Amino acid sequence: MKLKRGKVLVDPPASASSDIAFILIIFFLVCAAVQPETGIAQILPKTEEKTDKKDQSQNLEVSITPSSIVLNGSPLKLEEFRQRIKAALESKNREADRIVTVKSAPETPYPFWIEVSQSIEQAGGILTLELESERIITVE
Amino acid sequence: MKIQRKKLTASIPSFAMGDIGFLLLIFFVILARAQDDSHVQWQPANLKEVEMVASPLASVTIDTGFKTYLDGKQISNDELASSLASLLGDSPAGQRYVFLKVHREAKAAHFEPVIAAISEAGGDLIHILEPKDQIQ
Repeated sequence: MKLKRGKVLVDPPASASSDIAFILIIFFLVCAAVQPETGIAQILPKTEEKTDKKDQSQNLEVSITPSSIVLNGSPLKLEEFRQRIKAALESKNREADRIVTVKSAPETPYPFWIEVSQSIEQAGGILTLELESERIITVE
Repeated sequence: MKIQRKKLTASIPSFAMGDIGFLLLIFFVILARAQDDSHVQWQPANLKEVEMVASPLASVTIDTGFKTYLDGKQISNDELASSLASLLGDSPAGQRYVFLKVHREAKAAHFEPVIAAISEAGGDLIHILEPKDQIQ
């Protein structure tokens, strides 16, 4: 005759369940929050108001509109622009000569702007933004 | 004759030390993430070549309504440069990282003044973007 052995049931201590739940919450919270972010770094000279335009005449000038890029007066598509800016900056060794002044139309979309600015940086240019400052003139 | 009283010692259970250490670690990790801007709605633009970026001292976001936020709090473009400068403090150049999160539909009129403010505060600008391949 077989004797049935009594099963030993081991319950996890109930007092620890709140600790376990708390640690699980924290774990998932941290996992959800600490997501690695991706992007690109951009080096910008410190903003300053310039009134003297003598030195700026040597710099490359880029105008960005929603549909095209204008480099020193000639309108280009993005691929063409990449080649032209690379060629233009290749011969320039001095940091001051590699400054590229960028002027954007107010309606220029961010994804387009970021592609143009990345092209300038990849070509070795130093990006400088030309912003239009607002001036209120009272007419008497 | 003196009867010696038995000394009672109260020791901290050593098996709990791991749990205590872990909880403290988590506590400080959460405290370090003070600049929470997860409630701000925005969609990143996509770019082919992006790289992993270091943790920032401040984060500036332009949301779907083209409003500007500094570490999750709405701020005007005029106040941004001074607020950023005080946040960045005396941190050395090269470690003054500022994340710029611009909604993909934003226009130059929205993001250029913000970039100028970051530049004025002496921040090291990092555009937060998504790699293009992830979407396609």
